[in-house]
Amino acid sequence: MLNSIKDIVRKSSIHVCIVNCGGCNGCDVECVALLSPRYDLEQYGIYVHNNPREADVLLLTGAVTEQWRENLKRVYDKAPEPKIVVAVGNCPQSGDVFNQEGGHVYAPASNFIPVDAAISGCPPRPSEILEAILAVGPQAIADRGREKK
Amino acid sequence: MILPIGPIHPALKEPIRLKLQTEGERVVKAEIEYGYVHRGIEKIIEGQTWQRGIYLSERVCGICSYEHTQTFAETIEEICGVTAPPRAQFLRVITNELDRIQSHLLGNSTFFKSMDHETLFMQVLELREYAMDSIELLTGNRVNMGWNVVGGVRMDADERHFEPILENLKKIEEDFEMTRELYAEGPALALRSKDVGVMTKKEAIKGRAVGPIGRGSGIKYDFREDHYTYEDYFDFKTIWRKEGDNYARTLNRFDEIPESISLIRQAIDNIPKGDIRVPVELKSGYAQRRNEAPRGEVMYMIETNGNLIKHITIRTPSIPNMDSCAKYMIRDVASVADAVSTYASCDPCVACAERVAVTNEHGDTRLMNMGGVK
Amino acid sequence: MSSLIWYIYDFARKAWADGFTNAHSRSELAEKPDRFRDFPTVNKQYCIGCGACTVSCPSPNAIKIVREKDDETGEGMTFPVINPGACIRCGFCAEVCPTDPKTLECGENHLIHPEFNIIPSKRQYIIDDYLCIKCKKCMKKCPVDAISIVNDKLQVDQLKCIACGECVDVCPVNGAMKAVFVENLQDQKDLILLTVNYLEDYINSKEEDLRALQKDRLLQYDLPLDGIWDEALKIIPDDEISFEIISNAVNRLKIRIIDWDSSKCEKCQLCVPECPTKCISFDEENDTIVRDKDRCLRCSICYQTCPFSVIKYFIAKFSLENDRTIHITVKASNLNGELLME
Repeated sequence: MLNSIKDIVRKSSIHVCIVNCGGCNGCDVECVALLSPRYDLEQYGIYVHNNPREADVLLLTGAVTEQWRENLKRVYDKAPEPKIVVAVGNCPQSGDVFNQEGGHVYAPASNFIPVDAAISGCPPRPSEILEAILAVGPQAIADRGREKK
Repeated sequence: MILPIGPIHPALKEPIRLKLQTEGERVVKAEIEYGYVHRGIEKIIEGQTWQRGIYLSERVCGICSYEHTQTFAETIEEICGVTAPPRAQFLRVITNELDRIQSHLLGNSTFFKSMDHETLFMQVLELREYAMDSIELLTGNRVNMGWNVVGGVRMDADERHFEPILENLKKIEEDFEMTRELYAEGPALALRSKDVGVMTKKEAIKGRAVGPIGRGSGIKYDFREDHYTYEDYFDFKTIWRKEGDNYARTLNRFDEIPESISLIRQAIDNIPKGDIRVPVELKSGYAQRRNEAPRGEVMYMIETNGNLIKHITIRTPSIPNMDSCAKYMIRDVASVADAVSTYASCDPCVACAERVAVTNEHGDTRLMNMGGVK
Repeated sequence: MSSLIWYIYDFARKAWADGFTNAHSRSELAEKPDRFRDFPTVNKQYCIGCGACTVSCPSPNAIKIVREKDDETGEGMTFPVINPGACIRCGFCAEVCPTDPKTLECGENHLIHPEFNIIPSKRQYIIDDYLCIKCKKCMKKCPVDAISIVNDKLQVDQLKCIACGECVDVCPVNGAMKAVFVENLQDQKDLILLTVNYLEDYINSKEEDLRALQKDRLLQYDLPLDGIWDEALKIIPDDEISFEIISNAVNRLKIRIIDWDSSKCEKCQLCVPECPTKCISFDEENDTIVRDKDRCLRCSICYQTCPFSVIKYFIAKFSLENDRTIHITVKASNLNGELLME
């Protein structure tokens, strides 16, 4: 009973923090475009706060750069349980074009923190990000919340 | 007391650390710590063919990605001694100005967000979506367009594409006046942004501010005046203001949007017929080219070795703008909130900035030629 | 009260009603324009396995060419596989794909004229002006007329070149026509470094021979390549390429060897301040001179300074033919003579 009430609350109010750990900025721009009236992320109960301490979902963009190797784990630890990590774009998955000779990145991000879902594209369209977050986000948060109990 | 902001902070879109030195609530001094997004993109481009390089240069920065490819293509064209055919040049202008519109709207929306004005933030983003639609329609992708190639552009465009673009522009124009007035005449917003973060013309020259930030401080200079396409075929006037505060910078970006719209109209009306791409014979050599990106002047210096790029140096506008912001704008600002909105008003783009070596005030003047600034 | 009137006025405006009725639904948001470049689609049956897409792709992990297992019906198909986690949707693979109809399709296809097509190759063919004797044999042999004379110099037109390699076979001068690998420069550097270290360690291990060597005499050794071959294959896992890189490097290689005979050393410390990289230092506790091998430039200043001939200076040259044995020739340096020659 208590769990199902918690599920409803968790599903209907998701706080998101965008963590750019060293990309070209394109995915962040598309995440900002999600806030626009056209896509309107907030109608699904998702709020972008950019504050890891109150985040349920970490939107990870960018291949992991030198400075982020240790900080990424710290940011992840700061987010309260239950939390899920969604990798937006190719950079956190494979390092994209930066992961070649001369580049200075430490992709994939899953070497540093557990990544629950990934959205492909360089950058993905806002509608693709929206679909993926809605498909994965609420249910995963609810499940993760039950696991701990 | 030193107050650190970032690298993850509700007010910042990208990771960077601002160190604000405060006395009570007043912010006396600011310092910027770079290095969170350094990926070594120039080193990656070295040793690649130009065909791959053009897609890599797109990933220097996601917001003004278009201008990077255009400058890259023009630099290689200069090495090879060809120019893109007129039709391709016109198509480049259309895309360039659409990119400028969306970038300026995004920069302004970030500024409004940093001032916690949700209404304007939403309205400006709504307008931006029309520009993004046009870009996607024309080039096939929203952000990293892959539209330029050395010697021209990749795809032709015709009425099927121009009609919806003109329609979208009309939609932008309808709401644009109201949105601009809401900011320019609204007393609450104007009071919070007028006389905040003032940078005089002298300081702007000292700090090498470029683009709308320099133009907001009275440097009447736009590289598009000297660009061959704009010089030969287009009419436009450089927007500039004297005040040098947050208000001037934001309004300067707003006022450039109608100019861009009129440039797109001119381009669509007068577009010549003909090829959109010329074959290029590759040569080895060195060239440098400048171009006006939404945030200011972009410069590419490329040395090629036949097929391969031997050395490449990119100079982007963000470093001078952000440095002059930290040095001259955030200097005796009334509150921390104002300092953050001042930082947002200089339209920072960290991804651009994190690949350069900063030239100091006594640095090589050939690279930072202030003689060209009128 | 005034705000209430304002709200009523605002809701009564036509713009609000328009905005309400024209709002996009979820399915409308996902609509893509005609030109939208999605991830490339692969038509397996047309693929000829040329590898143009993998070489041209700007993203290193995006395309892989795979081959199915052979079965009774015949050979397995070879075709590219797109990894959406790395593909940047630029459409360049579709642009370079040489098959007709296309194996790879991506969005509305772009201009593909023959003159814009490029055939990517791992090698780039370059003529060394210094060595070229302008016999023009390569010009005559070239099947696509990619080699021409510009300003009295032979040049390869990289656009026309199809990387067949016939010019290298026909060239009478060893090294005038070069087929340079352009892809893995860092790996090549590692490989050469490995070889040089291996050779130097080997020569340094022959201390007695070196100290007994007379002037105007030569020392000769044969060293099999197998000692480093396994490690070399770890860096570049291709037999042919690794051997070519090593033999190219070794045949041109000249190493300066420094032999340090500490039994003769009188601790005068004259060499310490002279060393330009400060790699020679005096250890006060053990009363010895210490030389840091890794920082040494082999500049020979210490050899010229030392009054007790602690330091000996040798020049080693190498050759590697197809017998997979490196022939080493060491001779004592006649420094003055060498300076004159250079």
